[in-house]
Amino acid sequence: MANVIHAENLSLSYDEGKKKIIQNAKFSVKRGEFVFITGRSGSGKSTLLKSFYGNLQPTDGSLMVGGLEMKAIPRRKLQELRTHIGIIFQDYKLINEWNVAKNVVLPLMIAGFSLDVQKTQAQRLLKHVKLSEHANRFPLELSGGEQQRVGVARALAKTPLIILADEPTGNLDDYSSGVIWDLLENACSQLETTVLVVTHKIPTVFSLPYRHFTIEDGGVYEIH
Amino acid sequence: MKYIKEHLMFILPMMAILLGIDFYLVFDRMTSNYEAALRDGYSMLAITKKEMNTQEFKKLNAEISESSRIDKSEIIKQISSNQSKADVEDILKALPYFYTLKLGKYVDMDSIEKIKKSLLKSTDIKRVETFGDSYYSKYRLFSFIKFTLKVFIFFMVLVSLFLVIKQMEIWGYKHRQRIRVMEIFGAPLMLRSGVLFRVALSDAFIATFLIVLFFSYLRFLWAGSSGVNIMIEQKEMLFQLKDIAILLTSSVFIVIISVFSVVLGIKENEE
Repeated sequence: MANVIHAENLSLSYDEGKKKIIQNAKFSVKRGEFVFITGRSGSGKSTLLKSFYGNLQPTDGSLMVGGLEMKAIPRRKLQELRTHIGIIFQDYKLINEWNVAKNVVLPLMIAGFSLDVQKTQAQRLLKHVKLSEHANRFPLELSGGEQQRVGVARALAKTPLIILADEPTGNLDDYSSGVIWDLLENACSQLETTVLVVTHKIPTVFSLPYRHFTIEDGGVYEIH
Repeated sequence: MKYIKEHLMFILPMMAILLGIDFYLVFDRMTSNYEAALRDGYSMLAITKKEMNTQEFKKLNAEISESSRIDKSEIIKQISSNQSKADVEDILKALPYFYTLKLGKYVDMDSIEKIKKSLLKSTDIKRVETFGDSYYSKYRLFSFIKFTLKVFIFFMVLVSLFLVIKQMEIWGYKHRQRIRVMEIFGAPLMLRSGVLFRVALSDAFIATFLIVLFFSYLRFLWAGSSGVNIMIEQKEMLFQLKDIAILLTSSVFIVIISVFSVVLGIKENEE
């Protein structure tokens, strides 16, 4: 299987290199793999995840995502790459002025799909995350768990190459967390999507084989 | 109420900008006419040793557009009443030639002096009288009024532009979450700016329509009954069809500049 993500001596920092977060990291992630990234608060888990969708560019070394070098990636290429990545945030990052159906099809809207396709896909995706009856409601009218399911549906909308999830269950109860893990497992096993999840705690009930990276003192280490 | 206030905060400064632009256009048309009248009313006097034509004067200075000879017999008519015909002919022979010279455009005093110097370089020209004082005072007053109005219009437009951008920033702040999320999912600039464009363009069209209405009123209703001669005679200067195109283009241009300046200023990392 081809590498979807490949880091070689990757360093990430803020404040123009003054605040070093990740140093000389070397790892690869293949297509269809499920990866957990753990570490203490402030260790750089979210920073590493941000670099995968070009929110932060490497200060040093090389980072390839979807075959593209992320260091000094041109704006247009980055926009194109992002349309192949589904991102899930701890705080959901839904558009509160849009209803649930419109939020879910945002990636399709960006890709220029017709309104008919968007409508059909919205129904399919909302059925998948068991929110069909909430299509016309607004995010702030939903519970946290429901909002995160909207976030997952949005991430899955365009059958992405990679799903990046930053503490996707951080604000949820056990039941809602279980639903989110199931959805992510299905995406990985059925769609062959690579899933990278930043989390404090790996779920105790998890049926898929997965890889586990941990971040400590700026280094990225795989735990076997 | 809040909705109306939000839109007025954009429409009013936009109207001020468009008002400034249209006042500038009206002023420019009015002053072009006045400049032409000043130019046409002005002439120099050249005294030459030999007969000369317009082409010869033009060769000496290209600003000269027209020359006409003053009949010498008219000049000596009053002083020759007691003279014999032979004496009058002698005087006529001894007199140089007199020409009034007109200029092709409205020029300042420095240029008039340059024209005089270039004419005097010719050995055929004995003297040039520019009658500069009267022309100069009119020119200075006119230039001062023109400059003052242009400066006023410029500052009015500048201040209003800042107000428009400020309002756009408020809208940008209101929609920043949507713009950021769209950027994270790879939306191009135009798609991210879509919502701001929709709001700003509709307000810009309203502002343009109101200004067009105002100047149409001035031209078609007010000017005729104003009692001001210059307005009655030149009411078509107050508003022309091409002004609509200029105002629309200006408002769309301002919207594009202000929307992009706000959207590009929204960083996806800011919280």
